[in-house]
Amino acid sequence: MSVRDLLSPFSAWKNVLRDPVTIADPLNRDAAPRYRGFHQNDIAKCIGCGTCETICQNGAIDMLPVDSVATKIGDSGLRPRIDYGRCCWCALCVDICMTGSLTMSNEYKWVDPNPDNFRFTPGIDRKSWDSAELGYQRPEQHRLTETKRIAMQELEADERIDNFAEIVAGYTVAEAKLEADRCVSCGICVATCPTHMAIPEYIAAVRDGDYERGLKILYETNPFSQVCGRVCTRKCETSCASRHEGDAIAIRWLKRHITDQVPYERYREIVGDPLPPTGKKVAIIGAGPAGLTAAFDLARLGHQVTVFEAKGAGGGMTRYGIPEYRLPYEALDRDINLILSMGVEIHYNCRIGVDRTMDSLQQDHDAVVLAIGLQQGRQTRIPQSNHERVYRAVDLLHKITANEPFELPHCAVVIGGGNVAMDIARSLARMQKQQYGVVNITVTALEEQQHFMADADEIKEALEEGVLIRDRCGPQGCEVDTGGKLIGLKTWRVVSIFDEERRFAPKYDEQDEVVHACDTVIEAIGQFSDNSLLGELLTETLEWDRGRLKIDAAGRTSEPWLWSAGDCVKGPDVVSAVADGHRVAASIHQKLQEEDR
Amino acid sequence: MAYQPDRSQYPQRRPDGTLDIDLTSGKYLKLWQGPQHPGITGNMSVELTVCGDEVVAGKTHVGYLHRGFEKLMERRTFIQCFPIVCRICVPEPDFNEYCYAAAVEELAGITSPERANWIRTLILEMGRINSYMMYLGGQAGSLGQGVIGQWTTYARDLMLDRFEELTGARIYHMFILPGGVRDGLPEGFKQRMEETLKEIESILKDVYNVMYCNAVFKKRTVGIGYIDPQLLDSYGITGPTARAAGVAKDVRRDQPYLVYDQLDFEPITGKDSDIYTRADVRRRDLLMSVDLIRQILAKMPDSGELMAKLPNVLHWQIPRGETYIRGECSRGEYGYYLVTDGSGYPRRVNVRGPSYTHAVALLERLIVNINIADVAALMVSLHTYPPEIER
Amino acid sequence: MAEGSGYQQLKNLSTIAEILTVAIRFETTARDFYNAMQSKVSKRLRYLVDELASEEQQHMDLFTKLMQQDNLAEVLQQEIERPASDHKFSDCIHLPELGDAPDDQAILQYALMREHAAMEQYTALAKTAPEGPVKALFMLLANEETKHKNDLEKLYYEIVHSGGV
Repeated sequence: MSVRDLLSPFSAWKNVLRDPVTIADPLNRDAAPRYRGFHQNDIAKCIGCGTCETICQNGAIDMLPVDSVATKIGDSGLRPRIDYGRCCWCALCVDICMTGSLTMSNEYKWVDPNPDNFRFTPGIDRKSWDSAELGYQRPEQHRLTETKRIAMQELEADERIDNFAEIVAGYTVAEAKLEADRCVSCGICVATCPTHMAIPEYIAAVRDGDYERGLKILYETNPFSQVCGRVCTRKCETSCASRHEGDAIAIRWLKRHITDQVPYERYREIVGDPLPPTGKKVAIIGAGPAGLTAAFDLARLGHQVTVFEAKGAGGGMTRYGIPEYRLPYEALDRDINLILSMGVEIHYNCRIGVDRTMDSLQQDHDAVVLAIGLQQGRQTRIPQSNHERVYRAVDLLHKITANEPFELPHCAVVIGGGNVAMDIARSLARMQKQQYGVVNITVTALEEQQHFMADADEIKEALEEGVLIRDRCGPQGCEVDTGGKLIGLKTWRVVSIFDEERRFAPKYDEQDEVVHACDTVIEAIGQFSDNSLLGELLTETLEWDRGRLKIDAAGRTSEPWLWSAGDCVKGPDVVSAVADGHRVAASIHQKLQEEDR
Repeated sequence: MAYQPDRSQYPQRRPDGTLDIDLTSGKYLKLWQGPQHPGITGNMSVELTVCGDEVVAGKTHVGYLHRGFEKLMERRTFIQCFPIVCRICVPEPDFNEYCYAAAVEELAGITSPERANWIRTLILEMGRINSYMMYLGGQAGSLGQGVIGQWTTYARDLMLDRFEELTGARIYHMFILPGGVRDGLPEGFKQRMEETLKEIESILKDVYNVMYCNAVFKKRTVGIGYIDPQLLDSYGITGPTARAAGVAKDVRRDQPYLVYDQLDFEPITGKDSDIYTRADVRRRDLLMSVDLIRQILAKMPDSGELMAKLPNVLHWQIPRGETYIRGECSRGEYGYYLVTDGSGYPRRVNVRGPSYTHAVALLERLIVNINIADVAALMVSLHTYPPEIER
Repeated sequence: MAEGSGYQQLKNLSTIAEILTVAIRFETTARDFYNAMQSKVSKRLRYLVDELASEEQQHMDLFTKLMQQDNLAEVLQQEIERPASDHKFSDCIHLPELGDAPDDQAILQYALMREHAAMEQYTALAKTAPEGPVKALFMLLANEETKHKNDLEKLYYEIVHSGGV
């Protein structure tokens, strides 16, 4: 203790001469640029995936429907409502947001006499900070989920060009786990999938390494899991939340991975036995995905199912349309055999209308399903296109699968930019490589290459395999020499394809004419269904809808005993056909049960 | 000379060891201090038994702030625990974030990037300054010196501004998450931080002149609240409280974490182990933090990763394991004991806050035979944050 | 085709009413042709001939309404200010033999060919007609046929070019 200790405290008086440090107007002090203030949500960007709701540790976020947002593919139609009575502004919702729509302003003052108002839907309930530029946004490098898809091992072009071996190797367990880990389980894909597979659940099974559980989940909605695991059009991946700021989850490959991991001998036991017989009989015409899915469901419900297939093997377009390098026959056979093991009887090489009549089917069964697919190829009918060396792609693909002989072209031009065009081009390329040693195939289509209907992967791989692509070419006629030999395809350059209403209406530049030299032209522009098996009488009795059989939402035709499903009524798509198969099976089952009451 | 309590007024003990206090005799009085009183000890209370104006027994009562954090975390995913932990200690929340993140990282086999470690260290030292500023105001306030609290609140506010621009929040920063930190330093941060540090140094000079060089403060604190160095280990005493007793315990040096091994510092110690010495050790420790921040800003890398690659946090499962992560906070050793069982949730989280050891067992021992008026000063000198006691 | 029988019939007509009367007769013939086809095609394709017949009916109605209008010249002037542009028909006009059991593609190609011919015929007439209401009328008729043809073309693509997926 000293004199200093007595005097020193009085130095505090010096503050009398100082300016005050108190902020005079604290209400108008701007918060820092990074400040985690009130939420903003870019409604147009938000897809309502609900990942914000999932990560919120205090249940402050609820996903709710809002009037101004419609539910559509890839958008749940829900938007996050935040309860500021629970929110702690940790911003994990902003960090995890899959689209980057959710951000925070740096606004922090909100006075309201009504406590309910503090529960609001950012972006929908207009707020003064909606357009604030400052505030917390997820920093570029700060990601709580992996954005890059795990690459799939595939055969290189030179390894695959001279054979029909499957290109895609399938994920290893480690790769699949990493890929499955990227999924945020939002489930938007489930609504998009035509057959509503429980995608997040089976991806969770991959994460857990519980493949038997995964397989069980797959078979609840899709008896063509091996097929769909390879060639599904995977609409799910187009609505995946991860695709907005990264790659979509490889849902299709994960599905395949599950089927790869479970030994086939275990399948039957995991899927389980059918219910006891009901004594009801159902006939199904067509052993494609739609017909066999309906057969699977109905057989499991205890009904006696007989399938009539015109061709020598089942699978429909998945066998006779899709080449082996995309879908090996063994994988397809495994799916079909499991379906048949449910007690489904099948007659191959039995064409209805020839070998048996519709009448006899109607008489012998309680219900009949027409699932004949789109087997006939559309023709362009351009001049000279009736030449014998002008083929339909589906016919050639059928010949390749069925091992029927045909004269392999030395130089072929394919018309069409869809997957069928790629399938035939790539199949012929392989055969040319095997037999002639060189690939000489040109694909022409109306669209620009980036707008081809074919998958981007198909186009990329076709190019790698040496297939030439000439886009924006409108076919105008086949060129035939004086000896009657096909020598080329004449095309005009396409100026535009769609009109203002986005309807298909190509315009051409007649001056820009090209003749693509070739000895064979293959038309792959579309397919239609051959309904002649119905017979004239039944055709007259049935109701039609713009050239297709008229069916209701459950797949019922205007005849009470006849249902129709799959490509022939819904257009071409494997997984949609599976969904359709389930739909008619459910409808038939309901009808048969009602009859019993 | 060691402090010798006057035992003349001390009640007799019954054979079972309890004190023989006969309230009807009129010799003793029960007096409740708290749960609200000016000692920043906030939501805890002490049940005093006094004889005249001398305390003969004190019993601590806690639980006014119990929110069950540890239990809450067992029902939350690893990432969801991150916004919770900071709430376990309001004035210095960052140690919770760091210890939790480090424990998760260790069990999950993740290494936070170098640059993130520098930023974490920076944040922890900034938090330490804030915590000490709050302490200084409380210590002076408990003895009636309101003005110190005004000054240190201003200084703390400047540091909160820096926190706001760096982390996006003033109190609960939620910036250190498992894997790293959210972001790097904002533009111009170093410059503004230097201005803040200069202001803090200037304020601390004033505080020194008015609070420490003050006959009243010395009269009230020198020789009061003495802690025998021999008690340190048996009572689990750490931090400035231990260092004021002459024992250079400091986790930053004893078991360097983050980037402390790359910083130049020596633990601050004192000799007398009383309230004044503890206050002085903390003041000097604060100045050391100012120096450490300068070192960090000078040495830290300006580019590099800020976050380690995490698995998808929504399904994050951590293999079976347990760990204890500790760090030196402004009050002593702060630790997180984390047990994982392979699921997506912590099996057990135990938070070791220094307040638990300091403010319950130690306080009950030290409170005996001191004057009622000194109780508040004694409590504050143990630098207690009650939420740590009742996680 | 452009200078076919219809051309000869119309070329010598000079009053608007006369021209319209003949135009209406053409549409009637076409409508009746499609209606007659009803019994020839399979029921599943009947929607197509129905649609084609009703399109022709719409033209008939339009022309009939025009004839009844007092300020006809004025209306014609307004109408032709928005000419429809012709896209060349892609799969090339290839006169189909519309046999006993035509399929949807053949019917559409036939209809397209018919509209195309009508369009060219009216265009040629408009070129040779003197400035005034008659020219305007031919241009209007050409325009109507072009619009109709464009609609058919879109339908053709939607039915035939389903993409070959």
